[in-house]
Amino acid sequence: MADKKDKPFISYKLRGALVCYSIIIIPILLLGLFTYLPVFWAFQKSFYDFEIGGISHFVGLSHYIEYFTTDPTTYISLVNMAFFTLFAVVVRLSLPLIVAKLIISIQSERWRHFYRILFLAPIVVPGVATMLIWGGMIYSSQGLINEFLRLIGLGNYTHAWLANPGTALIAVAMVGFPFIGGFEVLIYYAGLSGIPESVNEAALLEGCVGIRKFFLIDIPMVLSQLKLILILTVIAGIQGFEGLIILTSGGPGYRTTVPGLMMYFNAFSFQRFGYACAVGVILFVLIFTLTIINFKFFKSAEELQATK
Amino acid sequence: MIFKKIFKYSSLVIILSVGTYLMWPVQDEKYIPEGVEETCSSTCTPANVKYNIRFVPGGYYFPGIAPAGIGQPNKGFYEVAAAYENLHPDTKITFCDAMARREYLVTQLSSSKAPDILNVNVEDVWPDVQKNWYVPLDNYLNNPNPYIPQGKPGSVQWWDMFKFQAISRGKLAPNGKMYCISYDMIETAIYYNKNIFKKVGVKIPKNWDEYEEIMTKIRKAGYTPIQTVVTIYSDWGIDLFLDQLYYNILPGIDLVKDPVREKYLQGYLDWDEVCFLFKKGFFTRYDKRYRELWKLLKRFRKFSNKDIATEDMIRGFVRGDAAMIWSSNLISYRFKADKDIDFDWGVFYLPKFTTNTTKYASGVDMCVIGGSGAQFEISNSAFSDTGDPKTSERLKRVVDFMQFITVPDQYRKVVNERPLLVPNIKGVETLPLLKPFEKILHRRYTTTKWTYTFDLKFSDILERMLLLYLDDYISLDEWIEWQEKNLESAYRRFTRKKHPDFAAMEKEWQRLAPIRKNYIDMPELPDKN
Repeated sequence: MADKKDKPFISYKLRGALVCYSIIIIPILLLGLFTYLPVFWAFQKSFYDFEIGGISHFVGLSHYIEYFTTDPTTYISLVNMAFFTLFAVVVRLSLPLIVAKLIISIQSERWRHFYRILFLAPIVVPGVATMLIWGGMIYSSQGLINEFLRLIGLGNYTHAWLANPGTALIAVAMVGFPFIGGFEVLIYYAGLSGIPESVNEAALLEGCVGIRKFFLIDIPMVLSQLKLILILTVIAGIQGFEGLIILTSGGPGYRTTVPGLMMYFNAFSFQRFGYACAVGVILFVLIFTLTIINFKFFKSAEELQATK
Repeated sequence: MIFKKIFKYSSLVIILSVGTYLMWPVQDEKYIPEGVEETCSSTCTPANVKYNIRFVPGGYYFPGIAPAGIGQPNKGFYEVAAAYENLHPDTKITFCDAMARREYLVTQLSSSKAPDILNVNVEDVWPDVQKNWYVPLDNYLNNPNPYIPQGKPGSVQWWDMFKFQAISRGKLAPNGKMYCISYDMIETAIYYNKNIFKKVGVKIPKNWDEYEEIMTKIRKAGYTPIQTVVTIYSDWGIDLFLDQLYYNILPGIDLVKDPVREKYLQGYLDWDEVCFLFKKGFFTRYDKRYRELWKLLKRFRKFSNKDIATEDMIRGFVRGDAAMIWSSNLISYRFKADKDIDFDWGVFYLPKFTTNTTKYASGVDMCVIGGSGAQFEISNSAFSDTGDPKTSERLKRVVDFMQFITVPDQYRKVVNERPLLVPNIKGVETLPLLKPFEKILHRRYTTTKWTYTFDLKFSDILERMLLLYLDDYISLDEWIEWQEKNLESAYRRFTRKKHPDFAAMEKEWQRLAPIRKNYIDMPELPDKN
């Protein structure tokens, strides 16, 4: 009798699990409501001619067909996106890694600390401000580049860098030059710091130093960091368009337009929300596919070791 | 120690407080003309006010501001609103400054929070008319304006009050309803520097060939012949040139004759006609007139300033570097007030093409491409009392106010307060500075408004890519290919939404075939077999 009385209605194990589930259920519900539901809703609306305040009409795959067959902006925007993404991948995988290596090579802890702060500080500048600075102070007709050209007697080479169809694409890609500020440097620095001292000593004993060590030891040891940066850069390259709105609005012509920007224009400027949803779904599929490929073929050092 | 800390933090607080006080922005004093009571904002609406009408008069008429910073601040609409409020003590007019940006309008209108009377280009209204965001005005325009005495224009139908009928009625939406009143008119012309003309020894041209000749001479003399921007080509340029090239063949291709609008808009090609003609090969690579249009436009662009995308085109003319500028009548007011302009200037309209210019020249004078300036629309907020325009008392009052502001005595106070825009109400004289523009506005209306024919996406592509063509970044063939794709895409969107009656047009097309036999270079689509 006493045993029955002492036995809890729900076992302690189950109670613990229920507490955990009840804690996690709220974030899951919120995540579903604010993240997954809009995605499904966008997917559904991509099959409709849908405008705010208007009546939706089912149009099936029309938007997808239009995007790939008759929309004249599709091809050029995809090419631009590929260019921006590839450019970003190259510079963000390489330059910050070099800077991180240089910082970690400094003997004095005090100076290492100083340079870490120096390269990390630009992170606090909002992206919009950066774009405005580049648009207004560097590329404008009285901007840094044109004034410098005038100063050295090359006034004939001044350009409306962002308005000229010949220079706009590369001018936009170069925003953020020299691409060594902030987040990536920090990630790579953390990766390089994590290389065991025994590995460094072994490399030294084997005579593997300098550039050779960088390529043969350091890079393979920070593959997981490289993988992370690669995934984030590809996602940002495919999704990103905010900077382009500020700098060029995708122009001149469609020389700097990307699919994300066309998605925005279709939704908010042309009032074609259904079509914009279709573009969004296409971008989602693209990002998803590239991320899967990335996971499948780009293995970090730990993953390689595990497979062996 | 503790006192030191207190002193440290309190001094910091004092410094911050004093700094904030000193840096606090000074609010501009509101200008209210003498004899006019200050209009209340919606937050201080008196208790006896039943209808608070929120009205967007637009930048040129907004009371209390001086357009372009010239002269005394506006008071016209203050006076008109005061007169209306005296007549209707239960009504308050609140002036609102609202962005004409589409994003703003969509969010405001979808939540029924927009001002009652908006001032936006009606073409931006058309994509949203099926959502009941705007009130069709046909019923009111076809009935008398209650403020007009018998026998005067407007006493039978409100429509009769408007001077420029073709342009005003040309603002009909694709669904056949009218959503705006064209409050005033705006027209373009070529402004020219008389001193440069005299120095170079050239006169106002009588036709396009002469015009190109004088521009060549001006360029040789070291001046920029004409200042333009890209939107001039994508809007005014296309319409004028297209009219010059297609006017002669309109009898064979104008397929729909609206019983009401045809009286005012003879031969005007509507969106459904453009779609039908496109499928017959017009406005494609197979249409030689169409190719000619772009070639001529580019030839004209060569006489213009180097940068038509970002340059402030007015500066070159004002500084005396350029001999001409293509602009609207709005700029007259600024030029007249500009003390830095040390030369005489005049205006003329673009001259017609001749058969020397192109073999497709129709030989008619250049048509009107300007149109309504301030376009007032009534939003869904106006019938917010019942949610139904048919039963809404509030809507009646809003329309009543719109009718009141078009009464000549009231209208004059606003539109003729300064010479900015040409009056569109009969019985209201045009100010001397704007007389040349009024004369132009009496010409025949354009064949089509290309920019506004289709949706916003079509116009966006047209404008962006035209710049690349005009500045030699893409070839004529590439440009026409872009436009074909653009038109095809717009055609599909349009037909999916509007379901135009192409069968009736095909019948009319067949009936007009004998007329078309007399025309040269009609487009011929390649045989699909």
